[in-house]
Amino acid sequence: DKLTRPWLPVSKPIFSVDIHPDGTKFATGGQGEDSGKVVIWNMAPVLREEDERNENIPKLLCQMDNHLACVNCVRWSNNGLYLASGGDDKLVMVWKRAAFIGPSAVFGSSSKLANVEQWRCVMILRNHTGDVMDVAWSPHDVWLASCSVDNTIVIWNARKFPEIVMTLKGHTGLVKGLTWDPVGKYIASQADDRSLKVWRTMDWQLETNITKPFSECGGTTHVLRLSWSPDGQYLVSAHAMNNSGPTAQIIERDGWKTNMDFVGHRKAVTVVKFNPKIFKKKQKNGSTPKPSCPYCCCAVGSKDRSLSVWLTSLKRPLVVIHDLFDKSIMDITWTLNGLGLLVCSMDGTVAFLDFSQDELGDPLNEEEKNAIHQNIYGKSLAITMESQLSSTIIENPEMLKYQQERQVNQNPNEAQGIGPESQTPKLTNVLNGESLEDIRKNLLNKQVETRTADGRRRITPLCIAQLDTGDFSPALFNSVPILPGSSASTQLTPQISSDSSTANSLGLRPSHDPTTTSPNKTAEENKDSATAAVNSIGMKSNLLLTSASKIEPMKALDSRFTERSKATPGVTSVPLTIGITPLDRVKDCSSVKEPKGKDETSSDSEDKIMVKSMAKRKGEMEGAEVVEKRKKGRPRKDAKMMPISQPFPQVTFLLSKDAWTSKSMDGVSTDGVTYLEVENEVSVVSGSRLSQLKWSREGREWDALLPSRIIIAAGSNDVVAVACEDRTLSVFTACGRRLIPSIILPAPMSALHCSRHFVMALTASATLSVWDVQKQTALVKNESLNPILSGTDATVSQSFLTQQGVAVVSLSNGKTYCFNSSLETWNLIADKQDSLVQCTDFRNCVSAQDALGSMGPLALTQGRNLSAGRLASRLSSTPHHLQQGMTLAFLEKQLSSALVLLSASEYRHWLLIYARFLVNEGYELRLRELCQDLLGPVHKSSSSSWEPTVLGLRKRDLLTEVLPVIGQNLRFQRLFTEYQDQLELLRLK
Amino acid sequence: MAKVQVLNVAVLDNPSPFRNPFQFEITFECMEDLPEDLEWKIIYVGSAESEEYDQVLDSVLVGPVPAGRHMFVFQADAPNTGLIPESDAVGVTVVLITCTYRGQEFIRIGYYVNNEYTDPELRENPPVKPDYTQLQRNILASNPRVTRFHINWEATMDKMEDSENVDPAPNAMLPPTSMPGKAPPLGLMPDNSMDCL
Repeated sequence: DKLTRPWLPVSKPIFSVDIHPDGTKFATGGQGEDSGKVVIWNMAPVLREEDERNENIPKLLCQMDNHLACVNCVRWSNNGLYLASGGDDKLVMVWKRAAFIGPSAVFGSSSKLANVEQWRCVMILRNHTGDVMDVAWSPHDVWLASCSVDNTIVIWNARKFPEIVMTLKGHTGLVKGLTWDPVGKYIASQADDRSLKVWRTMDWQLETNITKPFSECGGTTHVLRLSWSPDGQYLVSAHAMNNSGPTAQIIERDGWKTNMDFVGHRKAVTVVKFNPKIFKKKQKNGSTPKPSCPYCCCAVGSKDRSLSVWLTSLKRPLVVIHDLFDKSIMDITWTLNGLGLLVCSMDGTVAFLDFSQDELGDPLNEEEKNAIHQNIYGKSLAITMESQLSSTIIENPEMLKYQQERQVNQNPNEAQGIGPESQTPKLTNVLNGESLEDIRKNLLNKQVETRTADGRRRITPLCIAQLDTGDFSPALFNSVPILPGSSASTQLTPQISSDSSTANSLGLRPSHDPTTTSPNKTAEENKDSATAAVNSIGMKSNLLLTSASKIEPMKALDSRFTERSKATPGVTSVPLTIGITPLDRVKDCSSVKEPKGKDETSSDSEDKIMVKSMAKRKGEMEGAEVVEKRKKGRPRKDAKMMPISQPFPQVTFLLSKDAWTSKSMDGVSTDGVTYLEVENEVSVVSGSRLSQLKWSREGREWDALLPSRIIIAAGSNDVVAVACEDRTLSVFTACGRRLIPSIILPAPMSALHCSRHFVMALTASATLSVWDVQKQTALVKNESLNPILSGTDATVSQSFLTQQGVAVVSLSNGKTYCFNSSLETWNLIADKQDSLVQCTDFRNCVSAQDALGSMGPLALTQGRNLSAGRLASRLSSTPHHLQQGMTLAFLEKQLSSALVLLSASEYRHWLLIYARFLVNEGYELRLRELCQDLLGPVHKSSSSSWEPTVLGLRKRDLLTEVLPVIGQNLRFQRLFTEYQDQLELLRLK
Repeated sequence: MAKVQVLNVAVLDNPSPFRNPFQFEITFECMEDLPEDLEWKIIYVGSAESEEYDQVLDSVLVGPVPAGRHMFVFQADAPNTGLIPESDAVGVTVVLITCTYRGQEFIRIGYYVNNEYTDPELRENPPVKPDYTQLQRNILASNPRVTRFHINWEATMDKMEDSENVDPAPNAMLPPTSMPGKAPPLGLMPDNSMDCL
């Protein structure tokens, strides 16, 4: 064999090496300058000396220093399209070659040190809470597994990144190595907890836990890279001990027996790697061809800096190379033909070993290999590739249906290759359907700019792509700015058009619309003038430079580009003081809020009801004083009318069809819109002033006269309510008929809402009443707001009435309550400060069609907070189990809130998300409880208090919707069958 | 590895009258959520002779910055002409965009700016006292000069070695071949070396 040490001008440790499946390149991962480093190298110079000497053949293809800390593992996907890397920064990154970018796309750089190939990080997988030690692609790249010092193994859906299929928990120590069974039935992991675990891919449960060979293991190794033989028959562990000697334990697939091991290394085995080929004995010329048993070949690397290569047909190692490196061996990779071997070491070097067929034997071709698999497993690998859960018997035909549906759903993704691309449409979501050009045109006007407390400008940048959502378009650098009046075609500068296909993915569709020719022309002209300007500058500087006296300034100018601003006048560079930083932060936050607060008080404070302060002064409050208060606290249009100096003020309430809030708005005439017009002091009749209420919708109008000035009016499709200064409340039908004699309120009206036939009144003495004017009953009787207001400085910031007549009150402290009239209690339904909301992550459980169902009062109160799922990914430091628990708690809260709000559509929406979450995370007990509640008793019994409906939804119909969700996880097929059968039984009844 | 990569700077409203505000549309990508704001500055170099005439046109905080790709337009008023030496008003100068995180500058983007009269008459016979209303500002947008600096992105200072804070290539702008009187034209001047590679 031949041993070469390729040129790797790296002195930092190399932790991982992997040869690309096509054999033309290999990747290394390790420590960079101040980051982790992934490097892709050209293989040719390693294989052939003449290529090594040829200056024109690049050795280094691409360097990526995106990892924030040391890279522990790099692995090519089996199809060679992707490279996965895992590092100390807790991240797994998935890389893809960006075919459309030419060499070097780094902003402003020269192309001298350009990367020959461009590999871009298309996906960052965040979940681990500790260093990622090993990553492994499953056969056929269905899954990507990663293991970490957080003791878990995460199985990612490689066709739908960043979806997590399962988190395997059970190790009690740092997990340092992973290997997939080539047949796809198992994945094995080895950890510092002195165990090797084999997990089933069918249900992701533990198949076996092997501890005996590791019980003697002391000390730690950086990695424990174990390996499965290509025929699937043997699993070989890293660091094991036998009679106090370090070994690599051989574990037989058949019964997980541990009777054999590779012995001889003086220190712990760090890495074992099977040759991808199965070999048979080389037929020697002349000798009688006698059929021999095929065998496998395995390389073992150790902390003792030596490497051994074994054939399963031999008792002794084929070759042992001592002191190959200065430091421990970290990783081994075979070429696909099985004759080459790259080994990397902590000392920062990589060695190449070249074997001949005489030494290893004749590699079997794929057909022969498949025949072996066929023999052993009854099927060949080529067949297993499509059915992911091949070995599971699907017992229930319905289950089969849902499994098939699931696969159909996955197919569109597969058609586009692996996940990342299929994610690209999400980018447009971030942009709310607007194209990037549109955004760029208006960015200056649209972007949010605030002032901090110390008067500094603060811009909130527009997020045009989330990092996790897929492939970005290549760098836009030097792209032409969008000129006023020009169209998208200005984007078509030569650099951009060359990668237009990637640009498309961002929604940057270069339009060749003939109607835009004139702007096009201006763009051309502009470009021309720009180049002209460039030329003139170039010429000018030429001229300038010829005169020696002018050189100095030019030099001086140039140095400005590179010198850091040390003492730029007018700027005080803020020294970094750790202690101060959090303080600054607080200041920032408050300063952002402050202008908002000002806004509210200055312009439109109609929602800011001083209910609380009034409540305190309840006793002493008398009419006149209240009016004073009202004027201050609620400078609404109608409140302004009170002074007599404005004799005939007129106010029009524009009432949109559904949401009948009394937002005042001046005479906008749109057809089909309802107006409620209030005119105070229309006429004075015998000393009392009359006020008029005018109502108009689609041409129909009516009016009503009231003896006192109107302070608030509100309406719905069914009723119109007005509150007057004399503390009366009048209710009319939509046709103007008075429904109830004036209701006398205990205190002046503060907020009034109507919804369908419900009327809600919030008075200045902080009490709430809700009436059903159709049935003429009180739903809420003068209930005090004290329980929610006491102990806080909060005021009521918003209130509304749902379609079902549930009163909802939001306070300025971010909490929202509703009054539960059956329990007669206030219930907290939303809290903007709630950390549960911020840390939940149920994005995986939300399907596209769900978006519609989420509209309703609950969504209204929680508002944007619910995009909180996004926040979750930011808190990558939150341990998974904690996040899981928080998500569970949050979802259950949502469900019960929807129930209290009597919001049926939202209840259904959250129920389905909840069910999906339970299924994904494997909460069997809760799932069973949920199903049981939805199903109810199968046989009628009088003692049962089970209600067949919830919020008007039939529970069994809901169960019918939940079952397909359950059917998607094979683990729950018993549960599925159980409820499916019972439901069927009930249907027949 | 810097957590923030500037992907693009588009110079808007260029060329434009001298008194128009500067507008840069900046696109950047952030590796992970930044707990602190970024601070961007536009610095106008009033005179090549001395840093004394540098003017910070404006500084702006940008945040919050979650992981992802973001863009914003940084607009800043034109320089105070009273602070520009009259002899330097017309001709080539530089405008710099810098970005700092936790008070440490990690990127500096420089553009050459050419200020000249549009009127040929004025161009031939420039007034002694510059007439800023007639001056046109032209930023050489196609040729940004980008310098990146290693900074400490984390809150803790102890791990940061001081040496890493030093400009990686302080003299990169002056190629060894450049001799007085024979400097290459601006457009062909080699770029400063990048620490990112």
